[in-house]
Amino acid sequence: MHISFLLHHGYGMGGTIRTTFNLACALAQQHDVEIVSVFRHRDRPVFDLDPAVRLRHLVDMRKHSPDYDGGDPEHARPSRLFPRTDGNHRKYSALTDRRITEHLAGVEADVVIGTRPGLNTMLAMHTRPGPVRMGQEHLTLSTHSRALRATLRGAYPRLDALTTVTEADARDYRRMMRLPGVHVQAVPNGVPAPAVEPSDGTGKWVIAAGRLAPAKRYDVLLKAFAKVVEQRPDWRLRLYGAGREEGKLRAMVEELGLYNHAFLMGPAHPIEAEWVKGSVAAVTSSLESFGMTIVEAMRCGLPVVATTCPHGPGEIIADGVDGRLVPTGDVDAIAGSLLELINDDELRRRMGRAAIADAARYDPARIGEMYSSLCTELAARGGRSGIGRLRSSLHRTRGALLGGAYATKDALARARRGALRRGRTA
Amino acid sequence: MTATTSRPAGAPGAPGTPGETAPRADCTADSAGGLSFDITLPGVAERWDAALLLRLRDSDPEESVRLPLEPLSGDPDGSVLRAALPSTVPLAEGRWDAYLVIGEDEARRLLPGCSDLRPLVDRVPRTDRTWLGVRIPYATKYGNLSVCSWLRWPHAEAGDIWPADGGLTVHGRLYGAELTPTARLEARPRRAAAPDGGRERPVTAPVTPVDAPAEGHGFTARLAYGDLAREPGAEGDWQLWLRPGEDAEPVRVARILDDIVDKHRILRYPARPVAADGADGGGGLTARPYYTGANDLVVRLEGTGPAGS
Repeated sequence: MHISFLLHHGYGMGGTIRTTFNLACALAQQHDVEIVSVFRHRDRPVFDLDPAVRLRHLVDMRKHSPDYDGGDPEHARPSRLFPRTDGNHRKYSALTDRRITEHLAGVEADVVIGTRPGLNTMLAMHTRPGPVRMGQEHLTLSTHSRALRATLRGAYPRLDALTTVTEADARDYRRMMRLPGVHVQAVPNGVPAPAVEPSDGTGKWVIAAGRLAPAKRYDVLLKAFAKVVEQRPDWRLRLYGAGREEGKLRAMVEELGLYNHAFLMGPAHPIEAEWVKGSVAAVTSSLESFGMTIVEAMRCGLPVVATTCPHGPGEIIADGVDGRLVPTGDVDAIAGSLLELINDDELRRRMGRAAIADAARYDPARIGEMYSSLCTELAARGGRSGIGRLRSSLHRTRGALLGGAYATKDALARARRGALRRGRTA
Repeated sequence: MTATTSRPAGAPGAPGTPGETAPRADCTADSAGGLSFDITLPGVAERWDAALLLRLRDSDPEESVRLPLEPLSGDPDGSVLRAALPSTVPLAEGRWDAYLVIGEDEARRLLPGCSDLRPLVDRVPRTDRTWLGVRIPYATKYGNLSVCSWLRWPHAEAGDIWPADGGLTVHGRLYGAELTPTARLEARPRRAAAPDGGRERPVTAPVTPVDAPAEGHGFTARLAYGDLAREPGAEGDWQLWLRPGEDAEPVRVARILDDIVDKHRILRYPARPVAADGADGGGGLTARPYYTGANDLVVRLEGTGPAGS
């Protein structure tokens, strides 16, 4: 099968880029896979890509490139097709509209996969009849603005499938949006096994990693760690990442007198080399649409103390087995769970071993397998043909009459287009 | 070079190529101070003229160390080459840039791969040596692989440092020298180091030995900021040295026994006002400890505003 991803840009360091690369590499074991990056800012991607995966771009933003598109007057005109309600709207233009629609109108793939709301919308509206249209939600419905939700409500019924990274978010989509005939499924992000030996649980370090952003609540972590230090001054904290909260967090380290115990390390890549230096990981976010760092730390053999924030941590960690779940924002509970793991070497090591075993379910090979069967199933039941899609839509939406009517109308329109097209080619 | 990399880069729709990527070395450290570098290079393993070259930055004439790259035994594909820098090979202090050399080809700058530097974190050096070698592989600001090296003996390692109550308390460990009852901490103005060879009398502080059942000698010293402020021309940097005994040579206080190359970015300490405890100076000055680019411990005295304000 030929699978084509549509990505905002594939040359940076973000989580969506990394997880798309991981998935593409896994799928490339069995399928013909390409990643189409709307923008290209750099000559080379930051993350490694299997040579079997083709990476190409639609708009070249490299100033030194002979094909530089940034000066094109068409690029100065705002986009009409990329939804305004997607936070990245101002980066898109009449030029990206044209290049993306041209790409989608001629895409050779059996399955096209979008990777953010705006691109899912474009893919839903402008892909030629035939390929399975799949949207990925890397954030969550509950954190989208009302306006964006309205956009998605109009566009997503034209998808064949929507994947979320948590079961909770999949439930939200099923409950809050009418998506008749759209297969909504949670497929978590894949995280590869580390290239280094896992932690042996002896280093007296707590590790945290992520953007230094308000939602990560590193202020809460520092307060909790100050309590840990009162009892265990021999343990220390390393916090990896960069972001706009850095100044504030440095001031807090000073104010709490933690400058011998808590260190802002800056960004690190690959991060697995840093996880394994520690014995316990901490995630104190108020929001984690998935929780990649939790899985990364677990694969490195660290039990994670995480807040039960929406949506990821509770689906990843088995409390008391391979990590600890604590109430969001609760400094005492976070400090208490960290101390529980710090004070009990045997418990810490046992949970660390369980973390390795339990996190194996996120191996990219397994996640790739889930996507692979999903793609195969959707392609087989008629993503490629408007007629097949109509039949399956009706079959699956008996319970949702109103939505069903919408789907029927939509599917009929597509079936007509499909029939026309077949008529032409026949 | 492959055909794909020489093609002009991407018109829209043209397949993008990650291109010929620079070779990466995975570094592994051992607790004695040795390093090994693993480079995956398919098709090169049969060659016997591959080497890893370390060049000391800003050295004239150029100082370099050539480490042979040999096929890693037990590697099924035979594509992994390993170079070893044993702990017994001394490496001058400084920053060494890492290159890959194959035969007569031009040396290629190496990129860091996935490193395992666990043995460097909280490292306790062996005391049965006559010198201490510390080598930390790291990514430069351009993303290349370099190795930072220190070569010291004796060595005074700074641990927790607490700026408070008008002074600085330094906890540390001394390796390779005996701590005597006459031991003291010395602060010397940085500017004095060159012109008069440091003959200027340093500001001193008493040193208290801490019970040290393990390796090295634990010590604690407290330097009063007011003592620095009273010296003429107190503003500026004061280097900290530990003199283990009256007749012993002073030992630079530094922090090098871990995996962090650029301490000044990560280990930061607050500036505190220098207590105006009478006679001259103190007023309007703040003192802040920091680590230099070589990770030596320094106290900087700075005016906070117009004198007398």
